[in-house]
Amino acid sequence: MSSIPVDSHSYAAPLEHAHHGSFLTTYVFSRDHKIIGLQFLFTTLLWFLVGGLLALAVRWQLAYPWSEMPILGRLMPSSLGGQIAPETYTMLFTMHATVMIFLVIIPILAGAFGNFLIPLMIGADDMAFPTLNMLSYWFMWPAMLAFGASFFVAGGAASSGWTSYPPLSLTALGGQTLWLIGLTLVGVSSMMGSVNYLTTIIMMRAPGMTMFRLPMTIWAMFITAVLQAFALPVLTAAGFMQLSDRLFGTGFFIPEGWTANNAVHAAGGGQPLLWQHLFWFYSHPAVYIMILPAMGMVSDIIACFARKPLFGYKPMVYSIGGIAGLGFIVWGHHMFVSGMNPILGMTFMVATMMIALPSAIKTFNWLGTIWGGKIQFTTPMLFALSFVSMFIIGGLSGIFMAATPVDIFIHDTYFIVAHFHYVLFAGTAMGVFGAIYFWFPKMFGRQMNETWGKVHFLLTFLFLNGTFFPMHILGMVGFPRRLADPYHYETFRHLMPLNQFMTWCAILMVATQLIFFVNFFYSIFFGPKVGRNPWHANSLEWMAPSPPGHGNFDFQPIVYRGPYEYGSPEVDTDYYPQTQPPPAGAQSAPTGH
Amino acid sequence: MNRFWSLIFLLVPVLGVATFVVAPYYHHWFPRDVSEHGRVIDQLFMFILWLTGIVFVATEGALFYFMWKYNARNNREPVKFSHGSHTLEVVWTILPTVTLLFIAIYQMNAWADAKMRRPDMSITAEITGRQFNWDVRYPGKDGELYTPDDVFRYDGQIHLPANEEVLLLIKSSDVLHSFFLPNLRMKQDVVPGMAQNMWFKAKETGEFDIVCAELCGWGHYKMKARVTFESRPDYEAWLEQMYDQQEAKTVALQPSE
Amino acid sequence: MSEHSHHPPMLQYQPALPISNGKACLWLFLSTEIMFFAGLIGTYIVLRFGAVAWPKPHDVHLSEPIGAFNTFVLICSSVSIVLALEAAKRNRASEAKGWVLVTFFLGCVFLGVKGYEYLAKFDHGLYPQNPHGQIHEKADLNYAAAIRKRLLDLRAEIEPKTPRTAEDEQKLAVIDQISRDLLEPAETAARENPDSPEWRILMLRLAFAIYPPQYEEESPVGEAFDIGASTAQLQAAPLHLVAFQQNDQTAAADHALGDHDSGHAHGLNDVHSWLRLPVMIPGGGLWASTYFLLTGFHAIHVLVGLIVFFLMLFVTLNRTQIGLIENIGLYWHFVDLVWIFLFPLLYLF
Ligand code: HEA
Ligand code: HEA
Ligand code: CUA
Ligand SMILES: [Cu+2]
Repeated sequence: MSSIPVDSHSYAAPLEHAHHGSFLTTYVFSRDHKIIGLQFLFTTLLWFLVGGLLALAVRWQLAYPWSEMPILGRLMPSSLGGQIAPETYTMLFTMHATVMIFLVIIPILAGAFGNFLIPLMIGADDMAFPTLNMLSYWFMWPAMLAFGASFFVAGGAASSGWTSYPPLSLTALGGQTLWLIGLTLVGVSSMMGSVNYLTTIIMMRAPGMTMFRLPMTIWAMFITAVLQAFALPVLTAAGFMQLSDRLFGTGFFIPEGWTANNAVHAAGGGQPLLWQHLFWFYSHPAVYIMILPAMGMVSDIIACFARKPLFGYKPMVYSIGGIAGLGFIVWGHHMFVSGMNPILGMTFMVATMMIALPSAIKTFNWLGTIWGGKIQFTTPMLFALSFVSMFIIGGLSGIFMAATPVDIFIHDTYFIVAHFHYVLFAGTAMGVFGAIYFWFPKMFGRQMNETWGKVHFLLTFLFLNGTFFPMHILGMVGFPRRLADPYHYETFRHLMPLNQFMTWCAILMVATQLIFFVNFFYSIFFGPKVGRNPWHANSLEWMAPSPPGHGNFDFQPIVYRGPYEYGSPEVDTDYYPQTQPPPAGAQSAPTGH
Repeated sequence: MNRFWSLIFLLVPVLGVATFVVAPYYHHWFPRDVSEHGRVIDQLFMFILWLTGIVFVATEGALFYFMWKYNARNNREPVKFSHGSHTLEVVWTILPTVTLLFIAIYQMNAWADAKMRRPDMSITAEITGRQFNWDVRYPGKDGELYTPDDVFRYDGQIHLPANEEVLLLIKSSDVLHSFFLPNLRMKQDVVPGMAQNMWFKAKETGEFDIVCAELCGWGHYKMKARVTFESRPDYEAWLEQMYDQQEAKTVALQPSE
Repeated sequence: MSEHSHHPPMLQYQPALPISNGKACLWLFLSTEIMFFAGLIGTYIVLRFGAVAWPKPHDVHLSEPIGAFNTFVLICSSVSIVLALEAAKRNRASEAKGWVLVTFFLGCVFLGVKGYEYLAKFDHGLYPQNPHGQIHEKADLNYAAAIRKRLLDLRAEIEPKTPRTAEDEQKLAVIDQISRDLLEPAETAARENPDSPEWRILMLRLAFAIYPPQYEEESPVGEAFDIGASTAQLQAAPLHLVAFQQNDQTAAADHALGDHDSGHAHGLNDVHSWLRLPVMIPGGGLWASTYFLLTGFHAIHVLVGLIVFFLMLFVTLNRTQIGLIENIGLYWHFVDLVWIFLFPLLYLF
């Protein structure tokens, strides 16, 4: 009476789609959460490439200002013979950030992994609202078109930074309008996604899957969805206001008697700082939206390959909640020197200090998890561990900036750039790589090449530190961000060699991704086939066929315990799937492959 | 091979610390501080650097050690089947809380000095950011701004008296800018429609960079100015001279009108 | 190729709440909506209380009765949709449809009234659109220039007519009079000695003639106006504040046009509706921005509701449709609630 049938079935799954409808309905306008998840994955990975190339252009300018850029130069729209013009540079980092945040990290976490994993991990056959789910993907397309097209309109793409502070963003050319439209559409997409996820997690958990038996991934996705649902509408509202300031001559963010291109603006009396408040009210929670799911997935991976229960499950859950809660009251730490009332600054500082606490708890619990385990250094595990290692760096640098007097000096310097690349790239992106290697078998029924995976990890790990760690030092010198050519300042002239080193690391890092690229596509078609549970993991998705057919489960999953019972004395296997009935039926435990 | 990976992770704290040790020798460190309060900020930075440095080495060290000790090949004994420890959780909740609260309170004074305790004195100069330059308006001999004898400079060469408190009124005439003096550890965004103050005391004479630290358009990178700190007499002499130049100009203009 | 994997089992779940997925989703959706309007209303409050001057409701043609009426209409519609639900529960499809129809109708009334209000604003040029916007923050030279331009346009439009009707002649007379008695004095004053406050006062005089501000109580008709006093006032308070103190000048302005009582109804733009001169309303630009933002987004939500109601008219609303009616009802109550916040914010304070 094992709840898991033997495996031969699983390979039927991919073909099985064919029975359900034409290619178009199956793979393009699919309402199946797995396909939608994969659609998100591929789209975001491709944009990841774009964002990476934009980053290289940025790096090139910083290493060899105004010099002709080798290959990329030809792609530069408004650049003169491969050379980057100042306005092009502002456009480059603006779009780099926009792409990375709104088209890569957020959609790859919530869109790709959220979609693929939530129903599988809670034992549902699909999302609560498959059509809404499909829409949330298809709303990304007009957004991507808006962002993409903006490169080709007069004046080029948005160039006021990803924060797009008015009044500058109000004077910017066409691209900015498209940027705002794109932003709104991304918002609509995320909003649809988040309400759908929340409903699914609240209403569609398998029997026995209590809230405190959910894997951390699901908890993270759940809290993230809450953040999305509550913070995003405010940004959308702000976006509309900036749009109407640009198009309909309203004056929300336009100060009294403000002159733009020598014409005094009649509609006045607005407040530029108001935008910053509204923007960061969303965008600070957004930075946690950009890391919580990674934290969740990393927790699962670490527990699985330490072959040991997650250390302090409940504290982990509560600290995710704590991060989310505090996340709503710290936005002002981006505005310490913006002219905001210094007293406010002080209160935001205290809140910001406190938000380090839940992250601290998580970090220590991850360490506690690998303590006394039997660690298997698989590729996913290496990426997951590097997430912890790198997140510590990125997090600790946050403390410097949270200290208001220090922030006076390091605000808008490369110290900030170092900080958020450690949390976003070295943290989240590495976690995402880990997740890709980890769930690839479930997605495609095949495994990625481990050796090349490790090579990919090693090189990325080394080069990313080479790229980003020196930024802390640059920040200490006061090296300002968003500057096309900082070297004509006497203070920063001597920093060029270091920047050239960083640039070469960046180039090599992007080149390294070729390994991943090849490994990824090769394995989809030729990777070694695997059974349901190649990693001997516990959570529900591993009980379903790989890849799961339409409807996910070919049996009714019933949950008996939490997802982290690795090395439990109750059973002789060193893992103990959530669906496996207690000892009575232990001997008939599913033999993954 | 297992050892290999833990060693790779050991590189992080080792090289991390090394970078900060080596950097100063190549002058990749704070720019020279010529202000009075700057010291406080640098000290606070160094204090946090030490504190986080310890946390950094400790946590990364632990990560390395566990990877080294507990990898599947070398770790013979069975896994510790533990779901966590209440006491540990309490400990590592309280310790950081205390540390963080300490940092929070410890720094408040420095912040108040820099941004809240504005000295009540007359404005030394009014500085207006515009794409892409810093314009200055000095009160003339009468020390009063907005009087006929004010001196205007548009060449981005700002002169200020050294060894005495200076109170600046900074504004913007178009978009956001940020008035950043690396050598004085001072930075303040300027917002159109708002007036900001900045005050400091330069300890040394000399010429230093003024950086615009808030994106303000394509020319943001070249919105550069220089500040010259000089002794009171020199400063007054210079101001005098600038005033005369200005007068000369206006007189020259008279007939043409 | 497994046979039974074609028919995945019907999975069962343990929902955390005893409600349908649809309802759960709707509640979540509404909470995002709440945050959305929180953002908008927050903006309104911040901007309004941060503003130096803010027009009184009457200055911008907001009438409480109309607003109150609309509030009443929406509340009724909330009731009627509840009644529709009740009917559906009792499986009285036609009755339910009747109530939905009523709700639909009331919603239309609300939008109709709103549309009427919008038109009233547009007629007086009360909309943001810059630079064609008619609202000016202060009576400065830009304002004078705008008026001159408008007058010239009018003239250019009437003069060429042959033969001119008596009406045209009269219009030209008014135009001449305005530029002679109000505009020119102000402009010349400004040209001759820009430093003296005199021209500003003359500008205000012009502004108030075109669009007199509202006063709580009927203001007495002042006698000939005296620069000394007002100069004092001018130096005392910034312009837009003065704007609300210079009753005497308004009167004087009206005087100049032989029109003997003050108050809004008799501003030039009202007496001669064809004039459409730019108006001076301190804080007017920001007011227009926020007013149209808030009411606009609310109207859009009403519209969405109406579309759904309309579609529902083609569904037999028996017991099976309870869920549908209940959900749209929830949404409609929310829309209603938002308005109950907006009405006092925009019309009363
Ligand atoms: C995933 C994204 C992410 C994450 C998780 C964080 C996490 C944190 N961030 Fe970050 N931040 C960004 C993304 C992120 N940030 C981005 C993108 C910007 C720039 C936006 C822009 O301007 O373009 C930014 C900017 C930014 C600023 C503004 C700087 C400026 O512009 O002047 C500040 C200031 O306080 C800040 C603080 C913090 C803090 C305190 C945390 C904390 O949550 C960190 C907590 C974690 C730790 C502290 C490490 C682990 C803990 C331990 C090892 C325990 C022991 C530690 C102690 C006792 C200290 N961040
Ligand atoms: C998630 C967010 C994210 C990520 C991942 C990155 C990644 C990188 N960033 Fe980015 N960056 C930001 C967010 C991010 N950045 C933000 C928010 C800003 C601020 C902008 C502003 O000031 O407004 C910024 C600004 C910024 C600057 C400062 C510009 C300035 O202020 O003047 C620099 C400079 O070095 C930089 C560099 C890089 C580099 C070298 C990378 C590299 O890590 C990139 C490496 C790229 C890859 C590794 C891609 C590889 C591709 C794949 C793996 C896909 C494979 C494809 C398939 C399988 C189909 N970034
Ligand atoms: Cu001015 Cu940047
Ligand atoms: Cu933040």
